[in-house]
Amino acid sequence: MAKETKDYKEGFLHQGFDAAETNYDQRGYHLEVVLDVNQVRKFAQTAYELGFYLVFVTGFHVRPDEGHDKKNSGLEVVYQFARYDRQYRIKARASVPNTLEIPSISDIYQGANWHERETRDLYGVVFDGHPNMKPLLLSEEDSDFHPLLKEETNLKSLDEVSWRSGAPEAAKGEAEAETGR
Amino acid sequence: MLESEYQEQNRFFLNMGPQHPSTHGVLLIVLEMEGEYVLDPQPVLGFIHRMHEKMGESRPCQSFMPNTARMDYVCALPYNHGYVSLIERKAGIEVPKRAEYIRVITSELNRVASHLLWLGAYLLDLGAFTPILYGFDDREHILDILESITGSRLTYCYYRFGGVYQDIDDKFIEATRAFIKRLRKRYVIYEKLVTKNIIFIKRAENIGIVSPDMALRYGMTGPNLRGSGIAYDVRKNEPYSVYPEFDFEIPVGEQGDCLDRYMVRVKEIEQSLRIIEQALDRLPDGPVRSKVPKNIKLTPGDCNFAVEAARGELSYYLVGDGTSTPYRLKVRVPSYSNLSCLPELGRGILLPDLVSILGSFDLVIPEIDR
Repeated sequence: MAKETKDYKEGFLHQGFDAAETNYDQRGYHLEVVLDVNQVRKFAQTAYELGFYLVFVTGFHVRPDEGHDKKNSGLEVVYQFARYDRQYRIKARASVPNTLEIPSISDIYQGANWHERETRDLYGVVFDGHPNMKPLLLSEEDSDFHPLLKEETNLKSLDEVSWRSGAPEAAKGEAEAETGR
Repeated sequence: MLESEYQEQNRFFLNMGPQHPSTHGVLLIVLEMEGEYVLDPQPVLGFIHRMHEKMGESRPCQSFMPNTARMDYVCALPYNHGYVSLIERKAGIEVPKRAEYIRVITSELNRVASHLLWLGAYLLDLGAFTPILYGFDDREHILDILESITGSRLTYCYYRFGGVYQDIDDKFIEATRAFIKRLRKRYVIYEKLVTKNIIFIKRAENIGIVSPDMALRYGMTGPNLRGSGIAYDVRKNEPYSVYPEFDFEIPVGEQGDCLDRYMVRVKEIEQSLRIIEQALDRLPDGPVRSKVPKNIKLTPGDCNFAVEAARGELSYYLVGDGTSTPYRLKVRVPSYSNLSCLPELGRGILLPDLVSILGSFDLVIPEIDR
């Protein structure tokens, strides 16, 4: 198991993807991959050829990085892949540029078709190359309304909602207080 | 007249649903037809979209518990299970062994109830009225058993972070054992009535064949995938709770037609009963709930938890931000991916076969729309 994990990671790194192993017991997935927008299709193709299936595609809204990188829209697209034959789960994410466009993977994984339409409904991310970018869960009249976008006051930066190495576990201190009932 | 013109004249659109009995809920499928043949079936979703994910992101994580049962109302306990386990993983909460056993027993009972309901409903789609009466008769026993312990018959909210709401009693154990005995006797009836019925076999065999590659491209899971011969079950592949302690098999089909999907579910009922029996035999003593803070803080970072619901892999994906309210909560539901293959699978088939395929997929629409 440990060896396979390493093999996947090495393979992805070799192809230029930013892959890092994670603590499965804590996070529930084995590998985290951070993708550039133009790597998305290549990664999906690689995952398909390796025999991964697509678990889901979804969006994620954080405060745009205002420092050096002005191209960032604050939206991320999260992909999850897993395998049928062994326990292995990959989370991949890609930042959506200001144009709100990201390449579609629905020709590689046909199952992504609905997931991408749903992500457009909820976040307004447009998937470039998608055959049918119509609303799926929401109605046509609401195509400009994206319910999962957060209000300015509720937005947090990506750092605030990411795992920190060595950060003290906040919950422990208050844990002994009382039972939930 | 050219042949193409002739074909053009015979093409028409047919709206199947949103109130059609064999769509099992408010699902609309727009069918482009040519005579009796389906050219392009396009499901239209969202009739009962309730934005559960937004609700999850706008209230403390405890308050989302009732929502989990309202997605897949036919098999709600695995949805409870996935959510409590997700929060337990995120917040590092320990669960007493007895509570995990109770969770497995009740979840498996719920799975059996779901499969029994599906069996009846599928046969009803195919025009056989009697099996649903037998299915409901057996399912009713499970609902009574679960009601006695959870307080509800359908939309359960029984599990709690760190355990379950209340301990099971001797009456529950007795009733469960009696039910297992009863259901095993009923297999004969189901086999004679349905499995060996030539009309049923003709409607299901070689219909709607899902190849393993197709299943992979669409991310299909659950009995629909196992019908295609891939033995993927989250309970075995990504063991959670106390499932590794039990001896059970993962039934698979051969070619992935409707009959294989039927057989997989029927065999799964027996496997679930085996799990329940073993769990009852080895039920450990002890508390059923650990001490959990009233205000659970979700540390920054993301976390995923997958469980095997009756229809396939259910994944909860959560991002915490240090407060007790999730920053992002994604629910990956099995029926959504399972149904998404319909435009490809249903191309060029007869309309009655489409009804058979939809029935064999065991769809629950509130789960798809969320």
